[in-house]
Amino acid sequence: MVEARGVSRTVPGPDGPLMLLDAIDLTVARGETVAVGGPSGSGKSTLLGLLAGLDVPSAGDIRLAGEAFSHLDEDARAARRGALCGFVFQSFHLVADLTARENVMLPLELAGADRPGDTADRWLERVGLSHRRQHFPPTLSGGEQQRVGLARAFATRPQLLFADEPTGSLDHANRDRVAELLFDLNREAGTALLLVTHDDDLAHHCRRVLRLEAGQLQHG
Amino acid sequence: MGSLRRSWRDGAFRILALSVGLAALALASVILLRAELDQRVDQRTAASLGGALVLEGSRAPDDGQRPAGNALTSSLVLEFPTVVVAGDDTLLVSAKAVDADYPLRGELQVAPDRFGAAGPRDHGPRPGRTWVADGVIDRLGKAVGDTLTLGEAELTITGVIRSEPDQGAAFYSVNPRVLMHADDVEASGVIGPGSRLDYRLLVDGPATAVAVHRRQLESVGLRPDQSLEGVDDARVRSFGPLQQLTLYVSVGVLLVVVLCAAALTMASAQRAARQARLAALLRTFGAPRRRVLQRLLTGEAIALLPAVAAGLLLGGLVVLIARQALGWQGPLAAGPVDWLLIAALPPGLWLVFGVTQGLALARAPITRLLQRSGGVQPVGVSGLIAAVTLLAVAAAWLSGSPRELAWLIGLLLVLAIGLPAALWPLLKGLDWLSPRLPLASRLALRRLTRRPALALPLLAALMAAMAVLALSGHVGTRLLADWRASLPERAPNYFLLNVFDADLPALDAWLAEHDALAKPRYPVTRARLTEINDQPVRQAVTKESRQAGNALNRDLVLTETERLPPSNQVSTGRWHGESDTAGVSVETELAQGLGISLGDNVTFVGPSGELTATVTSLREVNWESFEPNFYFIFTPGTLPAADLSWLTSFWLPPGDGGRLAELLGQMPQATLLDVNTLLDRAQAIIDQASRASALLAALLMAAALLVLAAALMSLRTVRDRDNAMLRVLGADAALLRRIAWQEALAWGGLAAIGASLLVTAALWPLGHLLFDGRLPWSVWQLLPAVAALGIALGGLRLGRGGDDGPMRLLAS
Repeated sequence: MVEARGVSRTVPGPDGPLMLLDAIDLTVARGETVAVGGPSGSGKSTLLGLLAGLDVPSAGDIRLAGEAFSHLDEDARAARRGALCGFVFQSFHLVADLTARENVMLPLELAGADRPGDTADRWLERVGLSHRRQHFPPTLSGGEQQRVGLARAFATRPQLLFADEPTGSLDHANRDRVAELLFDLNREAGTALLLVTHDDDLAHHCRRVLRLEAGQLQHG
Repeated sequence: MGSLRRSWRDGAFRILALSVGLAALALASVILLRAELDQRVDQRTAASLGGALVLEGSRAPDDGQRPAGNALTSSLVLEFPTVVVAGDDTLLVSAKAVDADYPLRGELQVAPDRFGAAGPRDHGPRPGRTWVADGVIDRLGKAVGDTLTLGEAELTITGVIRSEPDQGAAFYSVNPRVLMHADDVEASGVIGPGSRLDYRLLVDGPATAVAVHRRQLESVGLRPDQSLEGVDDARVRSFGPLQQLTLYVSVGVLLVVVLCAAALTMASAQRAARQARLAALLRTFGAPRRRVLQRLLTGEAIALLPAVAAGLLLGGLVVLIARQALGWQGPLAAGPVDWLLIAALPPGLWLVFGVTQGLALARAPITRLLQRSGGVQPVGVSGLIAAVTLLAVAAAWLSGSPRELAWLIGLLLVLAIGLPAALWPLLKGLDWLSPRLPLASRLALRRLTRRPALALPLLAALMAAMAVLALSGHVGTRLLADWRASLPERAPNYFLLNVFDADLPALDAWLAEHDALAKPRYPVTRARLTEINDQPVRQAVTKESRQAGNALNRDLVLTETERLPPSNQVSTGRWHGESDTAGVSVETELAQGLGISLGDNVTFVGPSGELTATVTSLREVNWESFEPNFYFIFTPGTLPAADLSWLTSFWLPPGDGGRLAELLGQMPQATLLDVNTLLDRAQAIIDQASRASALLAALLMAAALLVLAAALMSLRTVRDRDNAMLRVLGADAALLRRIAWQEALAWGGLAAIGASLLVTAALWPLGHLLFDGRLPWSVWQLLPAVAALGIALGGLRLGRGGDDGPMRLLAS
């Protein structure tokens, strides 16, 4: 689904270029679930950002759904990302000025989908938040916001889902509920999943667990 | 210098500095201009009174009431109606006897003969001599050098009076003036028991000495026949358009200050948010709060000094330009308190509205500072008291009196509460509409509708600024010209007064010869309304009315005619026609102001004595018809024939004005009013007022835009995060730009719609009054729309920040 070949990322530092990722090779197959763990500063989020086209590598290539991705310009990457990928963030990142329903509609509208409202209603029902669809994010609890985030991520039926510490901001009870929902939805949709997390329990829900240390990927 | 440059690179600091600078400019210019205006109004008022303080009574003032010492000067003036005799002719005149110290203020204008050029005199006539008005010479057929008999005194005419400095106080002005020396009064023997006398003790000198003398007079108490009037009581500014203009300027400047305070608060909150972590660290490492504040605010204060200085200098420059344009000479009128306020208010504004945000950094718990993500901090009770006190001091100083202060605060409250309240339904309506709109418009609108506490006052400020700017331009450049163009073709352009019966054949011949289009002529006389239903008019009228006040304080022009003038309509009662009884028709609004109704008796005192008539009808008058109109129209034969002269109006083709000299040569006593000249003068005054108004509106607009910039900056964190999110979900850069300019357009567009409604509401009455119901139109009405487009274009800058943003959304 996504394939990285010799991907490196360096940034300028006071003593010369600083290597964040060093010649990473990684493939996530269609429907596969992959977790990437590792200590803080190991480059997990940088890797996720590069694979999702949020940033471009200093060296190497990334292909998405079999097509060159990392060399496209920002607008082209955004268009492909919108068509193929879904996202779940640690801090939810719902748009505060849109209702729960409108947040779920957002990627559908950007993709030009038909009847985005109906689709959003179905997904909100699926995550158990039909009764909260006209509520704005600041009036929802953390767990509810992340469930809206999940509905938004799956609403476009993406082929690949990027999840960045999806339970990192939740308490214990909500963490389990959201994790269960994430993997249930993922299974139902048959979506490939790339999960970045510190949480070993969560990581072990995935079929493959990788570890990133000092910018280098260690296959477990 | 380096720290100043560093500060200036921060957008929040730029808004902070511009806010303080703009407030300094507005306050400096208006306080200085106000002082200039007050000084000139006081000078003029004192001149029209004849001194800084006037003690009036029907008997001479007591010796103890005259000022003692050298600090004050004084002069005693006596006015009384009397009869002068020249051969077989007699004439009722208003005599005025003055002493050697008269006049205290201003100059007399006296001509050497009937048609000679007048020159200034700083004293009255010597004993045995008199200066008389044109009317005395014309009616008695006398000339300079001839003698008049006043009682037992023989007075030689040595000059013709054209104006007196204290004319505003003249009570018996219905009769022509005879000015004489006080020493001749006793010799004349005309003063006796029962004489109607008006003594005025004029007092002048430094304001403090005048105030002391006034307090002394008031503490001892005045006699029942006496009254005291000072410059403060008679200030012209307390009445009419000048008061409205100064009130308008004061409201405008206070609004500028309030808006600058709002921008300052938001920008300071941004600065404080950025310094929160530093403040938390300093405090964690044990720095006392005073040290933290010193570290955070000292540099800020120094960096703001150039902005305050630039604002004050520009304010001073505005005043110098205004003085030059108006031809004002002499040193600046501002006093020490003015200068103190000019220097203290702008830094005070920063201390009250800006520093409170910094203080929060020294007071808030450290953990809260570490989590802080920006936003305006509540100022607390002491901050609120300081803010209200500062604005109250500014308001009190900008208004000249408690009454004006009440108006000022009332208008501010109406603007501050009324406008946002009026916009509330509009915002709710847009919120209701937004789910039906495309994504970009929905997001753009929601940034307003979801923040009513920010959006409503800000939209109101933008709206007021746009409306004032459009109205200033419209009224200044077009309105009077449009109105003049809308007048009927061949509307009278000349009014002729003081025409006698003997002049009529010559007048008719001249009008016929020059193809002038003459309107009906009216017999007129001047008289003062003294009683209503046998009660003195000042007791009869209890209602406060400007129009009633005007009618009571001057001689009115009365006429009699059997035909209702074409621009009049009887609203109550019946038109008198050719009735035998003494009836009078009264203009409706004046009748209301004076409490006059049908069947009431009104009494006037004119040149031939008292005249009483019964009110038989009330009339609506179209004052804009450009034809002679009157408050009181009597039944033919009611007014004493001996007192009547004629008033007429006519239209003369353009360019024929030069031939009027020929007409006036035949009737030198006649007075000609040239309407075009009057309108040109009015246009010049309106132009000057509108330029002042436009400058104020520009300041208001700048302040409103600063608040908008500060508000948009305070929303930047939210906007950047949303843009990054949209980018992650597949939005292209064009969509972000679309949202950005639509958001700015929403701010500007909503304000422009509101401003256009305000402008229309303001012009509507003018349309009805002057343009037969049509709204006056000019390109200035497009200004709000242009401003909205400008704001939308500026909003394109807001669309940035989406390209490198998405990575910031990730957890580490």
